[in-house]
Amino acid sequence: MEQELRQLQTEAETKLATLENQKDLEEVRVRYLGRKGLFTGLLRRLGQVSAEERPRLGKLANEIKEELEQKFNAKKSELVGSDTGATGGRDDLSLPGRIAPFGRLHPVTQIMDEVCSIFVDLGFAVAEGPDVELDFYNFEALNIPQHHPARDMHDTFYINDSILLRTHTSPMQIRAMEMEKPPLRIIAPGKVYRCDSDITHTPMFHQVEGFLVDRKVSFADLKGVLTVFCQKMFDEKDIRLRFRPSFFPFTEPSAEVDIGCVICRGEGCRVCKQTGWLEILGAGMIDPEVFKMVDYDPEEFSGFAFGLGMERIAMLKYGIDDIRLFYENDLRFLNQF
Amino acid sequence: MKFTLNWLKEYIDLDMPVDALADKLTMLGLEVDSVDELYRELDAVKVAKIVNVKPHPDADRLTLCDVTVGEDTFQVVCGAPNARPGLLTPIALPGTVLPGGMKVKKASIRGQESSGMLGSEKDLGISEDHAGIMELPDTATPGQSLPEALTLLDTLIEVDLTPNRPDCTSVIGIAREVAGFTNQKMDLPVKNDLPLLTGEEVPFSVEVLDPEDCPRYAARLLKNATIGPSPWWLRKRLLSVGLRPINNVVDITNLVMLEYGQPLHAFDFHRLGGGKIVVRRARANEDIVTLDGEKRQLDDKVLLICDAEKPVAVAGVMGGENSEVSDSTRDILLESACFNPLSIRRTARQLNLGTEASYRFERGVDPEVAPIAMERAVQLLVELTGAEVVPNGYDCVAGIKPPETITLRVSRTNDLLGLQLDATEVARCLESIELTVSRADADTLLVTPPSFRIDLEREVDLIEEVARLQGYDEIPITMPIVPMSFPEQQPGLELRKKLAAMLVSQGFFEAINYSFVDETYFDRLQLKSDDPVRTAVTLLNPLSEDQKIMRTMMLPSLLQNIARNTSRQNNDVKLFEIGKVFHPVADAPLPSENVRLAGVISGSRHPGASLLHFGNTQVDIYDCKGMVEAILQEVRLTKAVSVEFKNESTTAPGYIQPDSYVIYRAGETLLGYIGQIDTEVLKSFGVKQDVFFFDLDLDLITKREPTPKSFKQLPKFPAVNRDIALIVPEAVASGELLTAVLHADEALVESADIFDVYRGDAIGSGLKSVALSLTYRSVEQTLDDKTVNKVHQRLIKMLEDRFQGRLRDAG
Repeated sequence: MEQELRQLQTEAETKLATLENQKDLEEVRVRYLGRKGLFTGLLRRLGQVSAEERPRLGKLANEIKEELEQKFNAKKSELVGSDTGATGGRDDLSLPGRIAPFGRLHPVTQIMDEVCSIFVDLGFAVAEGPDVELDFYNFEALNIPQHHPARDMHDTFYINDSILLRTHTSPMQIRAMEMEKPPLRIIAPGKVYRCDSDITHTPMFHQVEGFLVDRKVSFADLKGVLTVFCQKMFDEKDIRLRFRPSFFPFTEPSAEVDIGCVICRGEGCRVCKQTGWLEILGAGMIDPEVFKMVDYDPEEFSGFAFGLGMERIAMLKYGIDDIRLFYENDLRFLNQF
Repeated sequence: MKFTLNWLKEYIDLDMPVDALADKLTMLGLEVDSVDELYRELDAVKVAKIVNVKPHPDADRLTLCDVTVGEDTFQVVCGAPNARPGLLTPIALPGTVLPGGMKVKKASIRGQESSGMLGSEKDLGISEDHAGIMELPDTATPGQSLPEALTLLDTLIEVDLTPNRPDCTSVIGIAREVAGFTNQKMDLPVKNDLPLLTGEEVPFSVEVLDPEDCPRYAARLLKNATIGPSPWWLRKRLLSVGLRPINNVVDITNLVMLEYGQPLHAFDFHRLGGGKIVVRRARANEDIVTLDGEKRQLDDKVLLICDAEKPVAVAGVMGGENSEVSDSTRDILLESACFNPLSIRRTARQLNLGTEASYRFERGVDPEVAPIAMERAVQLLVELTGAEVVPNGYDCVAGIKPPETITLRVSRTNDLLGLQLDATEVARCLESIELTVSRADADTLLVTPPSFRIDLEREVDLIEEVARLQGYDEIPITMPIVPMSFPEQQPGLELRKKLAAMLVSQGFFEAINYSFVDETYFDRLQLKSDDPVRTAVTLLNPLSEDQKIMRTMMLPSLLQNIARNTSRQNNDVKLFEIGKVFHPVADAPLPSENVRLAGVISGSRHPGASLLHFGNTQVDIYDCKGMVEAILQEVRLTKAVSVEFKNESTTAPGYIQPDSYVIYRAGETLLGYIGQIDTEVLKSFGVKQDVFFFDLDLDLITKREPTPKSFKQLPKFPAVNRDIALIVPEAVASGELLTAVLHADEALVESADIFDVYRGDAIGSGLKSVALSLTYRSVEQTLDDKTVNKVHQRLIKMLEDRFQGRLRDAG
């Protein structure tokens, strides 16, 4: 009897090991442990053994049965999920999951949010101004009088003699300084317009202007803030930065800021025109003439301002080679970012 | 500003590699835009000598030239009139690729073998001259490469000049910067003392009536010049920077302008009435025909160069046709002047005429360079045209202002730059670029800029020079120390981000469209002629007709986006845009700018989702309605907003299908609307499938107070659900049943929903069955059937009475 019990156990366990799906498992379970199964049949014969043997054998039988049941259960949980399409049914987990895919924010918005949030973390306030702007704010107050050659740097869309589409976000410097006294830390994102259209220019594009005004603000501080910004924006602690002299009528000294080419790492490539550098920012110390326009005393206050183009940064970060793609709103483009 | 390395080397010794030079210039603020090897592509072109020329037997205009490039003599067919024995000329042998991309092959021309091509300057891409094959100097040897024979090889450098550096619009100006950082003296072409020009005993006169606009006017007379082509060295120099040679006189004035930055003008002396020059403002209605053949109408702000009778040039911009130097000119009056930048700029803008001269004058020309450039040009004219210079001449300097001395504080310099320089270092910096510096006290320097740095007027200009010459790299990197504050952010920004995130999670992609649109949209949208939306801000100078007006609505561009996507087989489109629309405001200079959130949907409800799970159901108006409801819920305005639909007083605009128009109001103000786009309108935009859209006023939504959040006790007792299926006339709006139930003032009604609307034979035509599901709950007790039934029956009765309904399957 004992031998028969143990034999049945070995037999069941061997079968169990070779099973590969739940259906077979169930068949085997019924065959051995079912109500009319082999094990039950054997137990029924327990009454035929001697009275002194009965308790020991009964205990053994129960132990074996329990042990087998445990092993069946373990096998069962092991088999759940392993069933493939071959066996059909709703548990075919190779099928796609159920989710309606999300859309995406426009890449320019993504970059703009990223830029703004870096400056907001530095304590800057975000402020927006009008797209249709007075000549006064766009040019005059920024030290670009009517017949200044610097107007050539801006191909301006006009509404009439004194109203235009802003050519940069710099008018926000004036608007903000008219409203408040220093200290001032402001970041002004927005759309700007220039009559130009080719592979690297669209008549509308996005800029972020930033400026900080207080006592004793220096060019070294400008370098500091922009260095931190570039480190965060391009996620590179050791990013190389180059400040070059340049000219803007509303800043002096003025600078253009290059970063080490993010494509070739400075080796020289098509994108950086073999220079190893990419121009990404214009910046400088706010010109005393601008302060006079808003009744700030240039002897008391100093400050810096900078501006950067969003499309250019998006193009560099994502390797986009034609700026016009941004405004076609082709889903094949939009869903890449 | 373009110059070549060889040209630069005329004035300074330079032994640095061109890359290092370019880098140094860039870091000094003279941004090098490009560096190009000139004429490298002509290396394969050789010098050939024509040995013999005979006519082509079968073609009148062609000749057969026997040529040699060393030993063998071979035949080339040539069409040039100047092919003659003994001539040295360039040849492109078979296999050579010419600058235009043409590959020369051995060919048979009208039956005669031709083993190469003899080239004109145009053939070789050197100039536009195509009169004949090039005639090379005797110094060339057959077989030599052409660039070598003509010493053509050079490096062209183009600097992107900023408007504040007019002193660098000349090769000498650039050389001066290089001399500054390489610590050397320049070797300039004019080495002699300048002749004194007193205006005495010369056969002409000069009178400057407006010294304000013309601070300096120098003029000299040259006689018996022979006008003709310039020698090769001069033409080469002009060609190397992209200027077209004209004749020796014009070429000399151009060369000196590029060299010294001083525009010059040569008049035919015998065409100047009365032998007189008068510099004055134009009179009303005066006009002049300029060198380009255009008649220019002038106003009284335009400065003119006149003779005794008439205008002969627009000062600083362009000469007049009536006094132009021609092939027959013998005597030349040469002008070297300095004009007021503002005056020239204004004139150039007004006449829409930009020239090399006006480019320089409107930025500012060094008033001291006029007599030097004059002397250089006179020397060249004497040398190259055989002219004799008449002694003496005029030099009117009444308008020149003495250079001003600027006070520079060393402490201020250090504060602004974040440096710690001492006075000696600052002075040394400025002196390296020819500024005169003296020390007033320990902190103060008195600085006088040289005449060519007209951009240096203020202390801050000098501080910039110090920064530039020290090198921006030398300025440390620090973080500003500012008092801590809490910045107020632009209102509405957070809301925009939140709603954008919501839309994105619902499968919408964000679009950004141009703010300017096509005026014809209004008609294509079937807007009434008096629709206020048609009033738009118009651009004076749009790039194209379809970008002419500032948009007054968001829809047109989004429809265009759908057309673009569907035409590229992307038929499932869900787009939204957050942007401004612009409306003119009466009596205000600037238009109103209104931020809106608009969306369009078309095609599959779940674009990109697995068909297995989602099927391919198409969007309908309820997708728009749901989105708007979700947005209103998110901004907590549901309670404040009323919804209008199929209301007789609200007529849908022409682009919306009338029965799909729903508008959302908060009180009297219009928050937004949704609708299905009219099929004709879609057709006019090239869209062939149904489109639904919504449009919300984000500015208004930002301004509204959201319903505050407040806590209600969680229910302690279970709810009871009951359904009602009510058959009502088709005309009854199903939603009103729901509203009626919810507003019935029954305390036990917790919520209600519509779960089915059925039409069919079973209930008869003109009728529909609306199935409502009601949830009852009490805050005080577990409801029993009796209590619920009582309320339920009351509600059924109310609905039956109000909507002429009857219960379906009553009982």
